[in-house]
Amino acid sequence: MTGNIPLEKIDDYRWRIPRSYKPGMRVPGLIYADEKLLKDIYQDKALEQVANVAFLPGIVDNSLAMPDIHWGYGFPIGGVAATDIEEGGVISPGGVGFDINCGVRLLKTNLEYDDLKNKIKDLIYRLFSDVPSGVGSQGDIRVSSKEEREILLKGARWAVEKGFGTEDDLDCTEENGAMQGADPQAVSERALQRGKTQSGTLGSGNHFLEVQVIDQLYDREACDTMGLNLGQVMVAIHSGSRGLGYQICEDYSRGMVASLGKYNINVPDRQLACAPVTSNEGKAYLSAMKCAANYAWCNRQCLMHLTRQVFEKIFGSSWQKLGMFLIYDVAHNIAKIEKHKVGGKEKNLCVHRKGATRAFGPNHPVLPEKYKKIGQPVIIPGDMGRNSYLLVGTEKAMQETFGSACHGAGRLKSRTAALRSINSDILLKELESKGIIVKASGRNTLVEEAPSAYKDVNDVVDVVHNAGISKRVCRMRPLGVVKG
Amino acid sequence: MSVSYQLIEHTADIGIRVKSLSLGGLFKKAGLAIADLSLERQKTRYPEKHKIAIRQKATNLEELFVNWINELLSVSAVESLVFENIQINQINENFVDAVVVGSDIRNYKINTEIKAATYHQLKVKKTGLIWQAEVIFDV
Repeated sequence: MTGNIPLEKIDDYRWRIPRSYKPGMRVPGLIYADEKLLKDIYQDKALEQVANVAFLPGIVDNSLAMPDIHWGYGFPIGGVAATDIEEGGVISPGGVGFDINCGVRLLKTNLEYDDLKNKIKDLIYRLFSDVPSGVGSQGDIRVSSKEEREILLKGARWAVEKGFGTEDDLDCTEENGAMQGADPQAVSERALQRGKTQSGTLGSGNHFLEVQVIDQLYDREACDTMGLNLGQVMVAIHSGSRGLGYQICEDYSRGMVASLGKYNINVPDRQLACAPVTSNEGKAYLSAMKCAANYAWCNRQCLMHLTRQVFEKIFGSSWQKLGMFLIYDVAHNIAKIEKHKVGGKEKNLCVHRKGATRAFGPNHPVLPEKYKKIGQPVIIPGDMGRNSYLLVGTEKAMQETFGSACHGAGRLKSRTAALRSINSDILLKELESKGIIVKASGRNTLVEEAPSAYKDVNDVVDVVHNAGISKRVCRMRPLGVVKG
Repeated sequence: MSVSYQLIEHTADIGIRVKSLSLGGLFKKAGLAIADLSLERQKTRYPEKHKIAIRQKATNLEELFVNWINELLSVSAVESLVFENIQINQINENFVDAVVVGSDIRNYKINTEIKAATYHQLKVKKTGLIWQAEVIFDV
């Protein structure tokens, strides 16, 4: 519990943890939440973790927390922190997490609800059988060791070159599906082994593949730009870098713990172990992290390819004719070197987003031409029983949050509490009564991911919208879910 | 396979507390708890057992504990094995030498994927005669 942390109210959606809360904090904490969400946030140790992140050398402005913040390890989940590289700013593997470039992509279709309401069960069961999911799942897309190294360098482009997508897909993926500067030499043999069999697999836990329908439009101009309408069927894919990413995080966390003494860094939690971005340790981690990020983008590209194939089989038409085009793909566990203004001056920052989405505003140079006017698409999945959202980034996000927003609903209940209090049969019936078909690898996963284990994503999105750090475009409701 | 441990509440992840009269027993229990946490039910299609030697070193006991757990997770993933028995041959605060016995992962229905052990709120200590460890896993 963090009930004793003094929060200063800035406005209805912003709260500050003053630097004076804990000696060693280099900047204040800034939490985006309303009073309702704050009550939940106080229930665990996430706010203490916001304060702990403020210890990182070189951190600028604020240790930020998005409204879906909850207790993680080291960083809170929903945490954003930027460090000034030229002022000894650090990079922390714990600020990215084990599932490097866990992220989500959203694709549209030209199907409407009526087109698939009688086929949804077949569709979900076919997706479950054709898209490998679950713990340790191995993919049908087999890669050699040489090809795996190519994936680490080329990311989603590797899949496109294999025929698993198009150039347009790459245009609509953060970093065009591959960060530059990835170095496979920085990746251990063990990590390569763990990644080799898992390309094109969803994984388990909170990873999912969801068929959705748009049930509310908010921004006509942005919807027109993206070709979205009420009643349109959408598909969201949530996955990451699988065992390759876990192993890279573990390998470098070990080394970074040793770096704390070497660089005389004091942090209150060893999971915040870090090293200067410009140090050998920092550079090596960043090179390896980029490999995992690229692997994850390739993985989601392969998953989208498998999804398109299933739709082709069920609807007897090509994916192009079904209008299955990618809206966007965003990472929400990553560290990026980005330019942002700090105190009116442009700086090179290392921006950690741990359970947070990049949300660049209109006209940012890295955005694809078609989104320059409206801003970067921001995809916010909710739980399997409520809504998901599509938003766009704003100029205010550039000014306040290093161009970042929330990444989901945020957990409310621990997995063990969910397992104690939720019956899987009743849960499935409840979801079915709402017209939601769910197919999961295991009953525990299903229960752990039950809607009541999560905050209401509608509340979370209200905060980022009302605070102005992203803008609502449309809302989706789930029709069918494949859980890993 | 039967192992006793307590669950620690954590919003996003899962934590466990294990106790033993010896340091070796503590490491063994924690190692076996990983599989116990992950399993849903057992099948017996592939009876063959596989023995693997695991050695880890670290500058202190807590780091050794995290390294040990993460090595088990890593080897388990690479070899597609579930570890059913662990024999600790030698252990001190900086070194562990063990043999683990694994069975094919296809004998199990595995539910929760444990990605790694974290340093967050990690505790490994001896109080009186009892060794106790608390660790949060990323799941």
